[in-house]
Amino acid sequence: MFLPAGSQDQIGHLLDRKAKVYQLFRKVAKKRAYKPIETPVVEYAETFTNKHVGMAFHTLLKWFDRDGEIEVLRPDWTTAIARALVNQDPKQLKWFYQGSVYRQDKDGIESNQAGIEIIRSEPLFGEIESLFFAVEFLNQTQIDEYLIELGHTGIYEAIIAPLQLSHQAENKLRQAMHDKQTDVVQRLTASNPDVSEQLHALIHAYGDKEVLVAFKEKYQSHLELTAIIEHLLQLINVLNQLGINDVIVDLGRVKELPYYSGTMFRGYIKDSGQSCFSGGRYDSLYHQFDQKISAVGLAFDVDILAEHIKDETQPRRVCLLASEATHVVAELKSQSYQDEIVDIVYQQDLTIEYDEVIDLRNEGSD
Amino acid sequence: MKPVIALTKGRLETQFLKYFSGLGFDIEPIVNKGRKLRVETDDLQFIFAKGPDVVTYVQYGIADLGIVGGDILAEYTADVYDLLPLPFGACRMAVATEKGKVWPDQKKTIASKYTGITKAFFKEKGESVEIIKLEGSVELAPILGLADAIVDIVETGTTLKENGLVIDEEFMHFSARLIANRSSLKIKREELMPIIEKLSNQEGAQ
Repeated sequence: MFLPAGSQDQIGHLLDRKAKVYQLFRKVAKKRAYKPIETPVVEYAETFTNKHVGMAFHTLLKWFDRDGEIEVLRPDWTTAIARALVNQDPKQLKWFYQGSVYRQDKDGIESNQAGIEIIRSEPLFGEIESLFFAVEFLNQTQIDEYLIELGHTGIYEAIIAPLQLSHQAENKLRQAMHDKQTDVVQRLTASNPDVSEQLHALIHAYGDKEVLVAFKEKYQSHLELTAIIEHLLQLINVLNQLGINDVIVDLGRVKELPYYSGTMFRGYIKDSGQSCFSGGRYDSLYHQFDQKISAVGLAFDVDILAEHIKDETQPRRVCLLASEATHVVAELKSQSYQDEIVDIVYQQDLTIEYDEVIDLRNEGSD
Repeated sequence: MKPVIALTKGRLETQFLKYFSGLGFDIEPIVNKGRKLRVETDDLQFIFAKGPDVVTYVQYGIADLGIVGGDILAEYTADVYDLLPLPFGACRMAVATEKGKVWPDQKKTIASKYTGITKAFFKEKGESVEIIKLEGSVELAPILGLADAIVDIVETGTTLKENGLVIDEEFMHFSARLIANRSSLKIKREELMPIIEKLSNQEGAQ
């Protein structure tokens, strides 16, 4: 039998590692006073494709229900949780979730995520808490070679404000910025050489803290941009104080979904370059519910973390060799082991390595 | 580890090497590579693949940088940084048909290797067409009656002319481009920047 492209069976070792990632995530979330939330796997497409969220229709796994409504498999946790949290106790600020999301544009239709949402908190608190959560969780997984990248939606938006672009033209320009297409950005902004020059510099404004310092110097008379830079510097400083120095910025990063509205985070595993978490601020996601709410969060890619998490030391393997007559004896004996893997068999498989083999086949037969 | 550059085999490879050596890079081991698909110089590693595969290798981070035609990037949407145009590999996309072609008064049939670009082009025009995917020698399609017209890249126009076809409409201009893996650009900034800067200083597609 054949599986659809992207679907796969999960077996053994990798499944153990994935379970460990989920288990450590849950432990960290509980310890930091987060409350669990789970939304259903099946929702209406409209929840994800409306203008506030803006997910592309072709990326969703969808079908018609009996009433002709389009239903989808959950493509995004943050949006679903926003829908659910609007009616929840406003006193609970910190939420966590873990489970699959389904998208047609990814390799592998199903991907595993674990993430946090912090709503109605002080703006800076939510962002610092998100980053500190990431640091503690990655520490728990013993993945220590990683890089945190910060960006901010407001920088590009402030610089292009004088252009007063139509929605369609802005989409084109944002895509070109997203792809760092220097020549296309230049062509699309040719009518305003000053903005064009600033965007050209912005495309290349990625790297360490020095990039931010230089940017601050350049825009010292621009109040809005100065405030954003100060904000990012503050985040870098608190991370540095916590001993996290591998922090970079990409000031030219633009939002990939319409609901991002401020700081953006991303974590990279250093040796493979894979992105292991991403998130940011998305206050405007709640505008669809006519609410002004501070909302920030991030999601970890569980599949990638499972690839990199350190293996636990294997427990001792004990083989209890039993027979039909002594199976109960073996079962009682197995209960005396606490931390070992105990394998009760009638016939020993010599290809399996055991630390200890106890023959109970003739037990009690004397 | 040395930065890895994926090169599009064939004409683009020749043009790139000429250009690259002009910038002062050592290309000796690549020129004498024989049939090897992976070659190292003192500072760089090169892999050789077909255009769409160059994009795939860069997207998955096997290669840090890639040299690929703009037509390939337009046809295959890829999650890579599409940094800049290079001054070679200039071509344009065109609709071509037999000289004196009388269009049918029903839906046209268009043959092309570039079905994505063809669909987007006619969709934007608001014209419904049937598209037939071909892998090469696209010029045959109108001559043999498989399609009313073709959509293909044109460099000099000689192939079209020799097969009795004329350009009906031109709609996109391309050159070779430098692409980069999204993570590599950030994580290997120190190693990649000198190469990117050298390539971009000579920027200016034909």
